[in-house]
Amino acid sequence: MLRAEPLLKVQLLMLASEAQDAALALARFGVFNPAASAPDALAESPAAAYREAWLEAEARLSKLLEQCGDSDSLPIPADAEAPMLADLEELNGWLKEAWGACLACHESATQIADTRHHLAALEDTLAKLERLNVDLAHLLRADSLLAVNIGSLPAAELKRVTEALSMTHHLVSRFDQIGEQVFAVIAGPRMRHDEVRGLLAQAGWRELPVPDELRTHPQAARAWLEAERTRLDAQSGAACRIMDGLREQLGPRLHEARLRLALARPLAEAALAGVRGKGGLTALSGWIPQRQRAALRDTLDAHFHGRYWLDLREPTLGEVAEVPSLMRYPGWLKPFVPLVKSYGVPRYGEFDPALPFAFTWLLLFGAMFGDIGHGAVILLLSLGFARRLDRMAWVGMAAGVTSMLFGLLYGSIFGVEGFIEPLWLSPLHDPVRVLGVAVTFGVGFIVFTLLVNLGNKWAAGQIGEALFDSTGLAGLLFYLGAVGGLASLAGVADVAQPAWILAGVGITGVAAFKWHEALGGLGERMLVTLIETQETAIKLFSNTLSFMRVAAFSLNHVALALAVFAIAHGLGTAGHGLTLVLGNIVIIVLEGGIVAIQALRLMYFEGFSRFFSGDGREFVPLRIERA
Amino acid sequence: MSAYLNTRVSLYAGRLWQDEALDALVGAPDAVIADTLMQRGLPQLAAGFVNPADRQDARSLEQRIIAQILDETRVLIRPLSGDARTFLTFWTARFEISNVKTLLRSKMTGERPAAALARLTPMGTFGRLDNQDLAHAEDVSELLRRLEAGPYAGIVRHARRAFEHSHDPFSLDAALDRGYYEGLALRAQPLEVTVGAPFRGLMANLIDRINLVWLLRYRFNYKLPPAQVYYLLVGSRYSLSGARLQELAAQDSLEAVLAALPPAWQTLLAGATDIPGVFARMEHSAAEQAQRVLRSRAPDIARAFAYLILRERDLRAVRAVMRGRHLGLPDAAIRQALQRAPEVA
Repeated sequence: MLRAEPLLKVQLLMLASEAQDAALALARFGVFNPAASAPDALAESPAAAYREAWLEAEARLSKLLEQCGDSDSLPIPADAEAPMLADLEELNGWLKEAWGACLACHESATQIADTRHHLAALEDTLAKLERLNVDLAHLLRADSLLAVNIGSLPAAELKRVTEALSMTHHLVSRFDQIGEQVFAVIAGPRMRHDEVRGLLAQAGWRELPVPDELRTHPQAARAWLEAERTRLDAQSGAACRIMDGLREQLGPRLHEARLRLALARPLAEAALAGVRGKGGLTALSGWIPQRQRAALRDTLDAHFHGRYWLDLREPTLGEVAEVPSLMRYPGWLKPFVPLVKSYGVPRYGEFDPALPFAFTWLLLFGAMFGDIGHGAVILLLSLGFARRLDRMAWVGMAAGVTSMLFGLLYGSIFGVEGFIEPLWLSPLHDPVRVLGVAVTFGVGFIVFTLLVNLGNKWAAGQIGEALFDSTGLAGLLFYLGAVGGLASLAGVADVAQPAWILAGVGITGVAAFKWHEALGGLGERMLVTLIETQETAIKLFSNTLSFMRVAAFSLNHVALALAVFAIAHGLGTAGHGLTLVLGNIVIIVLEGGIVAIQALRLMYFEGFSRFFSGDGREFVPLRIERA
Repeated sequence: MSAYLNTRVSLYAGRLWQDEALDALVGAPDAVIADTLMQRGLPQLAAGFVNPADRQDARSLEQRIIAQILDETRVLIRPLSGDARTFLTFWTARFEISNVKTLLRSKMTGERPAAALARLTPMGTFGRLDNQDLAHAEDVSELLRRLEAGPYAGIVRHARRAFEHSHDPFSLDAALDRGYYEGLALRAQPLEVTVGAPFRGLMANLIDRINLVWLLRYRFNYKLPPAQVYYLLVGSRYSLSGARLQELAAQDSLEAVLAALPPAWQTLLAGATDIPGVFARMEHSAAEQAQRVLRSRAPDIARAFAYLILRERDLRAVRAVMRGRHLGLPDAAIRQALQRAPEVA
């Protein structure tokens, strides 16, 4: 629970013709995480073509499914076999044809919609042109000296097109705008009209087809528009029928294609990590949990009856960064895991902060929001919405209970102090003590994170960093020394001399390490060393002070409640009750939310950032279905 | 003013290549190349040189150079926020627009997605496109529609309309390039006000140079009519204003265009007889200006931008040397190709 499960590196050699079945068997096995690396002698990538064909087929299939439906669950028979490359290529070819047909229908539907839009614009135009009292027949004469175009272009292009057309003595007159399209008349000398064709095409100019009818009688034009609409309706109906026919025709085979592509997925996914091979041999590499060693052999024996060679070994120190982390959590801890993973995944061998995170986050939340009444409301709300909140309901319940426990310690119910005696202290009456406790907790928390980091680095073989880095032993010595020195200055302890010596030794070690690690010229190294060493001290100091917010929020909680009571007391009976209810809702929703985020922030920035690289790889097992 | 950025830019400036250093690289033995590149802060290129397979792969070299530029931009962007951050982030989008062009061409030629994907430049954290998804579009229209639903919708929408009418790859490229630089100029506008002359000078040099070179290319290489040439240029508010560009586009020859330029430009471009000559002179002038800004006490973002302009120019020169060496060209030929300062006529 505190570290990733120990894994074994798997190297499986089998006949190339059985590679897809081996990958499928490993996917059914359920705990095989494919990985790169194979003997140098196997220089070929035999599954690359398989993956390429699969990717193309999968992309086409998902587009087809988007058009044709079929999102039912896909039962995969236990004895189904994965397709060979040739089958996959054939399937891909068919999907290409099917998508081509579908795309044509889709394009035709888009064009029909576009034309409808255009007809609507044309009708609008017609109304405007009628009002203009212009003889269109005369204006649009093909043998006139003046070439006239009526159409639309993007509004953003109008200025530039107008400027460009002025170079050929053309005029642009805008008469309407619908959305981002501007409708305009362009007129200019016919002899220079050829010069503007390319420009208009480039500018996205769209000519409005002005039918002959429009040039004579507006009534006839309206009749023409109506006829065009009827024609489009017929076209659209035909397109729909074609699409329905296609769906009917493609449906059964698409389902079959889904199944075959699902069965092909394991080898295609494994190929991404790097399936190597040579001649008739293929090697699959990956990681499995140590406890599954025997189960893997059984699975392979059942499928391949000895036609394979299996090598299992523990990861070497050099490849630790490549090893995925497989974590197992008890059910009660699982709801907290997404909060840790939103920061990052622990490296293999690195301390997994999920457990301390859960305890510390709850502790901080309770300390900042300690109230029996408000905690009980959170608990009840979490219980009430348990189904909708799913696992997160457990986080809410635990936060509610912790809040109630701290409420008991603070003697606070719905912000009222005095109903019960505090078991420990009242933040409002003893703020200095609360601040002291918060900072002391912060010191303890930071020391814990530095120790964890030291252990992580040591385990990863990074001895230099473990001993001398700002988050290693040297940083820890400096921090403890500085804390001791400051405590002596404040009169809390009497260890000033040894403490400052310890701090000096620590910071010197950090500076020496930074100098050693810095690259570049003398000036750059000095600058980097100076800034980073100084940053070490400032960061540790400010991180410790950050914990003062725990005390501040516990005081804030009482202060907010007092404010609500003060407002309520100034009002009548109804106003009094309403203010108390609304005030408490505000406290629970607003302050509760802020406190939850602040506790998370303290964990991430004051805790995780010091020891948790979060750049580990999650154990992603090979699966038949998309994860 | 960020002390961090200021110091960073000053430290980075020490990595820029002087002409002598490039000259030394041309004649240096293979054994010292990786070390030289490391010393100049080019670990990506040094690593590529160590591996003989990568050394021969022009694509890999290009990708490593861009990766290096992106790495340095990432470091410079770190302390920035607001308009300055937006501007430098968009400055890197050129490489992603180039990826878009690669994908569009792959759809036009019917190339398989895996091959197209292998040719794309990895954008790292600057990447905003789902290349896998885009590469699996069936044709240009589908790809453009997908792009239109993404972060470059504004640039692509116009390109799609242009392409739908003409089905001409040139229309697509021209619309994408113009869309990108108009977007850059738009993002530079607030900085020109707050940062002032040094930044505005760099932007002016960039946009004016692009406009003049495009104008010459479209007008005299592609023989496009003046109105279309003007339309394809980037809307400018710098030395070459809209009216000036209209006048230049209407000229019938390179010489006439050069003669119609403002007097200061005529001096700068004196002796240029072809478009590459014009480009070389303008780039040299831009580099000189960027050097001045870099050495000055200009605001950090202006110095950072100047550094990136110079660094990219340097890396193009280093790429030329590496390619020349790989192709076994004589040192003299590489040095001639490398000529960073135009010869005075």
